[in-house]
Amino acid sequence: MVAHHMEPAGGFVAAVDDSNDVERRNAWIKFQDRIFVSLTIVPTMLASALVFGIPLVFSLLLSFQGWTIDSALFGGRFVGLSNYQDLFSDPLFRSSLMLTIAYTLATVTAELVLGLGVALLLNSRVPFVRVFRTALIIPMMITPIVAALTWKLLLDPSYGLVNALLGTKTVWLGDPDLALFAVGIVNVWQNTPFVAILLLAGLQSLPSEPVEAAAVDGANRWQTFRHVTLPLLMPYVVVAVLLRTIFEFRSFENIWVMTGGGPANSTKLLSVYTFEASFLSFDLTLAAAASWVMLLIVLIFCVLFILATKRKEIQ
Amino acid sequence: MSGSSLGKRRKAIRYGLTYAGLAALLVIFLFPLLWIVGISLKTREEIFTNPPIFLWVPTFENYAQVLTQSDFLSSFSNSLIATTCSVLLSLIIGIPASYTFARFSFRGQGVTMILLLIMRMLPPVAILLPLFVLFKAVGLSNTRLSIIIAYTTFSLPLIVWVMKDYFANLPKELEEAAYIDGASRMLAFRKIVLPLARPGIVTAAILSLLLAWNDFIFAAILTNNSTRTSPVLLAAYAGGETGTNWGAITATGVLVVIPVIIFSMIVQKHLVQGLSSGTVK
Repeated sequence: MVAHHMEPAGGFVAAVDDSNDVERRNAWIKFQDRIFVSLTIVPTMLASALVFGIPLVFSLLLSFQGWTIDSALFGGRFVGLSNYQDLFSDPLFRSSLMLTIAYTLATVTAELVLGLGVALLLNSRVPFVRVFRTALIIPMMITPIVAALTWKLLLDPSYGLVNALLGTKTVWLGDPDLALFAVGIVNVWQNTPFVAILLLAGLQSLPSEPVEAAAVDGANRWQTFRHVTLPLLMPYVVVAVLLRTIFEFRSFENIWVMTGGGPANSTKLLSVYTFEASFLSFDLTLAAAASWVMLLIVLIFCVLFILATKRKEIQ
Repeated sequence: MSGSSLGKRRKAIRYGLTYAGLAALLVIFLFPLLWIVGISLKTREEIFTNPPIFLWVPTFENYAQVLTQSDFLSSFSNSLIATTCSVLLSLIIGIPASYTFARFSFRGQGVTMILLLIMRMLPPVAILLPLFVLFKAVGLSNTRLSIIIAYTTFSLPLIVWVMKDYFANLPKELEEAAYIDGASRMLAFRKIVLPLARPGIVTAAILSLLLAWNDFIFAAILTNNSTRTSPVLLAAYAGGETGTNWGAITATGVLVVIPVIIFSMIVQKHLVQGLSSGTVK
């Protein structure tokens, strides 16, 4: 009787225990997940904040302050926008800004045009084409300083290969009219393969139906390329252009090794200007302002890049 | 019949033109490097011959000279140390984070990914000055540790973006089965996910290796003559009085670039994906 009476009650208690268990287990798993997420994320966030975030904030502060390397770390006094005024009234800065824009435009255009040609060539269905693709990776990956040295020796006026082949005595790196072109060659040579391989990936991912349909409609190769392939490839072109713009804008190694910014400041791009202000003339607040001008320009392109890659065609 | 032979001829012409174009590519993109390798195998007299000679008996005297130079040996070992340490550190820090980015959702996730992307895009020269000042303030200037810290941090965005995509493409079922068997998140990650992700980890490791090995600008500022890396030594060669010693410059350059080429070949299929930060598939 008692046992019989107890049974449902016992069952009920057991059921309550069960759902408590499940709840507790779920809570435990959630807690575990939270710990796991924090443990895995925090080191990355911490490193980024310490080595990237703090220096950025520090240089932003510097750019609004009067500060010297002997001052206490955060001991500068606020001077408003005067560092930026000094910067923009420096003719050397203004010319380096214009040079950087011209240089970036020219190198990115060259890389895009050549890269598209190379991509189309590598996209042809002939045996062993992959071998050529692999070979193209080499200039793209080599140490930038070595690439710069390579071209410095190739362009040497007396013993360089380029003058020997052209039969000229051109002083490529010593002539203010030629030097920027000469240092640009290095980056175009190094990075055209990157654009080519990126666009090749794009070409190979395109659907084949539109091209076939155009052929059925009697379009010739050029028409098909111009009106069918190129529009489909556009998202890849945009990504390539934005990435290369961001990375050409920071060009430094080739110039530093080949010309050091000369002759007559004809290759003094923003990166060189900022580097010299930071570490040669030690005008730290001016350098901080120049850094922030560079950062803001790149940030604009970053935003464009993020917007471009968010689009469905690429994801 | 004449139609098919015409077709064959057309095909032959097309192949011929394509190969001519491809051969031109090889010349443009590889010959400059081969020429540099050539210079490194010439004697001083052969290097400074005008017009340049194309056929000669190779000599290894430049390599013998470079490999016994303490400058080269110390900078090469500095490069090795800085690269190895920063690759290991950035993998240890970055891989668990990228797994979490792929498998869990938490507040601020999207923003964090975008900040990491921006971190990779911003020009190093614009961050160098405050980094230098801060490293100096904590007594890290002129140490190998300073560039190890810099390389580790600036590799993180690369690793996180590459590995996040890799983890996201792995099937979830194995982990879920492990959870049902009572495995913790950490255990499933270590015993199940990491072994599966090995090919992705190799790619991420090599990309971060190349970033550290190829860097010039951080090392140029953060190291001194005894802690400098190979690219800094090379730049000093090019500018200094040794600027005319082409044999030593080219031999050093070749020795620095050989590991780069080997490692690039290993990951060649994934290079572009990795370098465009995992945004193009």
